[in-house]
Amino acid sequence: MPIFLTILPDDPRPIYQQVADGIKELIAHGRLPEGASLPPVRQLAADLGVNLNTIATAYRELQKDGLIAVKHGSGSVVTSRKTNERSQDELLRPLRTALTELILAGLSPAKIETIVMRELKLAAKESE
Amino acid sequence: MMTPEQYIVATYVLFWLIRIQGCLRRGRHPLSRGKEWFLTVRVPEGFYEGPGRMVLRRYWMRMLIPFAIDIPFAIAIFWSGRIWLLNILIIGLCALIHVNHLYSVDIAERQARRYAMPQEPMAVALSLQTRRLRDYTNWAFETVVVLLNAGIIGWLIRYVTTQPHHPGLWRVFAAPVLLVYLQAGLLFVKWLLVIGRTPVPHSDAVDYMNALERLRKFRLQFCDLTRLSFALAIIFVPIRVSLRPAMLTRAVSIWLFCWLIITIVLTIWGEIQRKRVMVHRVQLPDFQRLSDVARPLLCYEPSAPGLILRSANGLSLNLASPVAQGGFLYLAGLIAILAILPRPH
Repeated sequence: MPIFLTILPDDPRPIYQQVADGIKELIAHGRLPEGASLPPVRQLAADLGVNLNTIATAYRELQKDGLIAVKHGSGSVVTSRKTNERSQDELLRPLRTALTELILAGLSPAKIETIVMRELKLAAKESE
Repeated sequence: MMTPEQYIVATYVLFWLIRIQGCLRRGRHPLSRGKEWFLTVRVPEGFYEGPGRMVLRRYWMRMLIPFAIDIPFAIAIFWSGRIWLLNILIIGLCALIHVNHLYSVDIAERQARRYAMPQEPMAVALSLQTRRLRDYTNWAFETVVVLLNAGIIGWLIRYVTTQPHHPGLWRVFAAPVLLVYLQAGLLFVKWLLVIGRTPVPHSDAVDYMNALERLRKFRLQFCDLTRLSFALAIIFVPIRVSLRPAMLTRAVSIWLFCWLIITIVLTIWGEIQRKRVMVHRVQLPDFQRLSDVARPLLCYEPSAPGLILRSANGLSLNLASPVAQGGFLYLAGLIAILAILPRPH
């Protein structure tokens, strides 16, 4: 079964962020296990028709988080399913941003809670 | 038995037949997804009765450009009596047909886009599977090809070192050099096919990816079979140099006959397979907004990874791409070899 990343042209996040987030999600859900190799930067850049730096930035972010190891000449591999030690505040920041987006979209707190619980269950189920 | 020149003419006639078939196939492309589409552009109802008729007609007319270039050249070749030049004409036309089609499709799509239906931006599924040439390489096949080439070249080296009255180094080695060079070119094409851009629409990603994979494998197989035919063609060189001149014409005729049969078989097989592996092309989003900028036919953009960039005024060949640079180097080498090839008498 091939593993795909989904890239949305109308997503407000930049492409490198979509690539990095997509790979993080696949690692978190266990679809990219430890030791799995990632395609070379050149392949992904050519496939998407974007600058090499765009994909290299995404890979650097994943490397900084300790999720992958970039080896020059032999490609990149998933090294861990846990990101490097980060403060709770740092970890909560994206969650706060997402919650703000949902509130601004006009969703009620009850509805947001339902969505969050459903997504959490889904993520936990997939990562098992 | 036909003469060598008659075989060259027969190959040229076969080339015409193949092109007519190719023209018919390409002519059907715009409507292959039904009347709601023009190639990758979603068009409104009645498009083909209105402005689409002219767009389609122009697309069909552009398909005739290679024929318009071919005919005067062919007449000049027949007039001059240098029939062997038809081989060069065929190689040149093969390249021209593909380039012409690429540009013609782009022009037609840009014309059709003026009347296009509004479409949702398409989500792209990006495969994380690494594609390497070695994953698509059959090592047993490669060993046969290498042994065939090396064996014949080894025999020829032994021949020129032991036979004091050989016809001359370049007369002996010209054809093997050209055939090995062509095989190297096909390996380059194989590599391009493997690394080629393959993002797929998010909807039906798996099916589309599988279809693309089948198409890629067919093209790679076609490259391999053509390489094998070039490797087999080298066998003729030792036969040619060791034959008495009186038997040479007959041997050349037999060789050209075999070559013609191989070409016919490969063509028929290719056409049958092509129908099985047909994939509808899709227009993928331009994430880097490269198509907003107007560029000349040749450009130099190191920041863009592609070989061919979609620009506001049409397609542009990116000379900063390593593929373009490699391709130009290869072509320069090919032209140099063709220029110094011994001419048939």
